[in-house]
Amino acid sequence: MANSNLPRRIIKETQRLLSEPAPGISASPSEDNMRYFNVMILGPTQSPYEGGVFKLELFLPEEYPMAAPKVRFLTKIYHPNIDKLGRICLDILKDKWSPALQIRTVLLSIQALLSAPNPDDPLSENIAKHWKTNEAEAVETAKEWTRLYASGA
Amino acid sequence: MGISFSSNRRRNNTYYHHHPPPPPPYYYPSEPLSLPPHPPPPPPPRPQNFFTTTTTAASLPPPPPPPPPPIQFYYSSHPYHTGSYANRFNYPPYYCANQPNWWPSIRPNVGTGQPIEPAPYIEHQNAKKVRNDVNVHKDTLKVEIDENNPDNYLVSFVFDALFDGSITIFYFAKEEVNCRFVPIFPEAHLPVRIPFQKGPGQKFYQPSGTGIDLGFFELDDLSKPSPGEDIFPLVIVAETCLPVDSTDEHVDDSAQNTSGHMQITQAVLEKKDSGTFQVRVVRQILWIDGVRYELRELYGIGSSAAEGFNDCDLGKECVICMTEPKDTAALPCRHMCMCSECAKALRLQSNKCPICRQPIEELMEIKINNGDQ
Repeated sequence: MANSNLPRRIIKETQRLLSEPAPGISASPSEDNMRYFNVMILGPTQSPYEGGVFKLELFLPEEYPMAAPKVRFLTKIYHPNIDKLGRICLDILKDKWSPALQIRTVLLSIQALLSAPNPDDPLSENIAKHWKTNEAEAVETAKEWTRLYASGA
Repeated sequence: MGISFSSNRRRNNTYYHHHPPPPPPYYYPSEPLSLPPHPPPPPPPRPQNFFTTTTTAASLPPPPPPPPPPIQFYYSSHPYHTGSYANRFNYPPYYCANQPNWWPSIRPNVGTGQPIEPAPYIEHQNAKKVRNDVNVHKDTLKVEIDENNPDNYLVSFVFDALFDGSITIFYFAKEEVNCRFVPIFPEAHLPVRIPFQKGPGQKFYQPSGTGIDLGFFELDDLSKPSPGEDIFPLVIVAETCLPVDSTDEHVDDSAQNTSGHMQITQAVLEKKDSGTFQVRVVRQILWIDGVRYELRELYGIGSSAAEGFNDCDLGKECVICMTEPKDTAALPCRHMCMCSECAKALRLQSNKCPICRQPIEELMEIKINNGDQ
């Protein structure tokens, strides 16, 4: 079974995530694969995503923590650094990964990305362009998508 | 952040003579101070091109068996607690020195030529412990007005000593071979030597009347070391094993005892808006049995409560496996953050420090809780 050789680090991280969850974030491992986490992040207050509940999946590859977790939004979101497949443009998930980072810190970073979209380093060209040419309108669209897709229903 | 500017090292470093050493280094010397000269590069005609330089460096034969260890690491058990030295005396500070193995230079761009991706191989060193007999708490070093001579400044600090000894105060002293210090303006101020008795947590006050009028010097000169970092505005030499005939009078440098244990504190003096001088310690050196060590604190040895970077509040665990105690520091950034097994695994994967991402040039393993004395 895939879970039999789970490194102690993953077990510890999981226990801490469950016993002391970060505010606005929940992550729980799948029963049949302890490397696969179901994640929920609440849209940060004073962001266009406020009030939304965003589902993500997080997978710890075999090399973890030497390699970054793989994280993807499952809930549709209008954000310049997240594409329509839910992939996230975030440096710590790529070249800036460090084994000192953890599931918790990764999810906190993603939460922070929702508060601070960065259209200068886009993953979705169209959304980034929208953000830069008419930020107010782009924010409205993001709010609308939050209502439509992330209402938690 | 200097490395050793010891002329020893320069002289020994025959191999790199054609290439001036890189600018004042944030790097640690890639070879110990007392190492014999590198074996000459295999084929003598060495064109000045970077390919040759690197391949030569990489194919150097292993060194002869190690000479006595040099070098320069210090770990403080309380790097984050500036005021918590009180109990240190019971746990005399240990200083870690690298084993004198020769290791391949992975300093980028030592030679001429353009930067070359360093091989992802990082030497793993085991630390050696040396004991320091006298320790000046660098955070307590001050210069203050002599109330009886308002133009003059006196030095004070807290120190621990395992044996009797003496403190010598120099202004603008140059480091010469064998850790001897010579004032470059002897006409302005002669070194002052004051004996002390052993004991922990002692407060040292320079006696009134032996101070210096700092107005004599340019503020600019007081605030930084000489470009080569061999002359410092303020140098405190604390040594044990006093010469028998020592007195508290002015001494000349020939009387300086270089055979015992010394700790040298090199500092600059910055004038504050309030008109007072603030002492900033730039470097501390140990001279023990003829070997020069530079002292560096490691980050991450302190108690878990002092750990700032880790939200799990378990500062004693390796940040990678989160299971084993951490015992390995990355150099030159000095983040003590891994266990030795994870450090070995990491070096196959990356040469970046997990904490700060600075390239790792060496790993140093330090066993702390193995019943030392």
